[in-house]
Amino acid sequence: MIHDSTVEVRASRPPRRGLPNLGLGVGLRNQHFSYLMNHDPDVEWFEIISENFIDNFGYARRVLEHVVSIRPVVMHGVSLSIGSTDPVNWDYLDKLKALAKFVRPAWISDHLCWTGVAGVNTHDLLPLPFTEESLRHVAGRVRQVQEFLERPLVLENPSSYLEFKESTIAEWTFLSELASETGCGLLLDVNNVYVSAYNHGFDAEHYIRSVPHDAVVQIHLAGPTDCGRFLVDTHDQPVPARVWELYRLAQELTGGVSTLLEWDSNIPDFPELVVELRKAEAALRGENPGAPIRQSDAASAVSNPVDFQLVTSDV
Amino acid sequence: MKTVIVERGDLREKLDVAERRHGLRAEDVVAGTRGLPARERLAVYTGGYVLRLLECMRADFPVLRGFVGDSVFDAFAKAYVITMPPDSYSLYDLGANFPRFLEETKPKNCELDADMSAMLDLPPELARIERARAEVLRTRGTEDDPPAVEHVSPFAVFGEERMVQVTPCLRLLETKFPLVDFLKSSDLGERPEPPAPRTSFVAIGRSNYRVHMEEISDWQFAFLRACENPTSTYPAVRVAALESGKDPGQVLADVAVWLPVAFELGFLRWAV
Repeated sequence: MIHDSTVEVRASRPPRRGLPNLGLGVGLRNQHFSYLMNHDPDVEWFEIISENFIDNFGYARRVLEHVVSIRPVVMHGVSLSIGSTDPVNWDYLDKLKALAKFVRPAWISDHLCWTGVAGVNTHDLLPLPFTEESLRHVAGRVRQVQEFLERPLVLENPSSYLEFKESTIAEWTFLSELASETGCGLLLDVNNVYVSAYNHGFDAEHYIRSVPHDAVVQIHLAGPTDCGRFLVDTHDQPVPARVWELYRLAQELTGGVSTLLEWDSNIPDFPELVVELRKAEAALRGENPGAPIRQSDAASAVSNPVDFQLVTSDV
Repeated sequence: MKTVIVERGDLREKLDVAERRHGLRAEDVVAGTRGLPARERLAVYTGGYVLRLLECMRADFPVLRGFVGDSVFDAFAKAYVITMPPDSYSLYDLGANFPRFLEETKPKNCELDADMSAMLDLPPELARIERARAEVLRTRGTEDDPPAVEHVSPFAVFGEERMVQVTPCLRLLETKFPLVDFLKSSDLGERPEPPAPRTSFVAIGRSNYRVHMEEISDWQFAFLRACENPTSTYPAVRVAALESGKDPGQVLADVAVWLPVAFELGFLRWAV
């Protein structure tokens, strides 16, 4: 029986799964290609969306080659569907591994979610029921993927808008147990914790205090949208004050891990993005550089936006 | 939950299907905490699913969207993603079947005059050429080829020992309208008049990561098709002459002039 409490990570594993603190980074987005090919970017590392570069041998691959040559890169996926009941997609994993050979990423991450079933991919990060059965199911798949990729997988907590009645385990306990059982790393998205905590009425600080801190490899920051009765993880706004508070707490508890600012819709120019990223330094000094949360109607707010995948221009 | 997300209809209709098919009601499955009912929570996912994919379709087919207008485009794009839910891990595959979908859902056997009937062919044809252009952007090109040690001269056509082949990114289309100028004008933000129907041949290639789209002659189309596998130029010239009904000597002379251009535009490369 799993209890709703912090699960101790086995002591034999090194902190952060032996993975380095890369500092402050941003996502590699098409909108910044020109800037990045002509400037030395004021960030320590980049995160790519793996699916943007799988099977992509156009200019994006050339930019990626350049970025890999100047900064560490992490591969972050959205289609692994680790929680699905469909068989593991080995074709996808083959391509992911081939991309990893090209990128030589610091690590490979995806989400604790399912994206589809029966062959359909919704391109959304759908929530799992958190039960002992689903934990065994996901843990088995994580082991398969890690064995194939020959490295620990890093899994992110997605934002969610519903919980299943059959769930018997808290999300933070599920993640803790998953990390303990499989040795996977955790990508702690403090904005997603904030969004889900608001939507489901749990304590965001308790969540962050409860995950195994030495399994946390990376933190995500982003800005959500307030739709009145719930928050949506829109990745299109500055980071709000409460998320900076949670970030500071997470960094205190983890001892300092790689931090990435996500901004995937209404993407600002690169220098403006860096200004927002550098607020993380102020947050760690005890300041709160947070912005107010944007209000919007629910009909226009899209979680997990895909704008950053859509620019199809050439050089 | 998959049924509720991808099934046709509004949320109530989706939930009805889920109940009929699986015997499940939203309230039986989803916890309604914080005064936010299960249906409202599911709506975040069902609404987001369509909007997310619609954004993707709009980005993939900007010229078609501009031509038919936002509301018509959105209606067809929504119908497409509901009828053919995505099955690939990549969003770039989402629009692959959209041209075929438009072709198959075109009004048939309706009493329209010839001009109007022909115009119904334009949206699927626009979708087809936009899709081809998007593929050329992403697929493997010639950028990783070893640097050329020599420029391609017109006399290269006479060298039996050198083999040519189309580039892996080349897309050849035979279309029912001349669309190249229409697309180029639309790309510049202009609102060109729709072209009158006539058969047109199009080559889309890429060199140094830049996409090149050109309307080509029937003999050029036939020549490039004959170069899909490595070949010396003479056999390809013979095929091009035969298929276009032109004199082989004239085609040979034309190829001699055009070959350097075809290399420059990323249509052809030396076979290895």
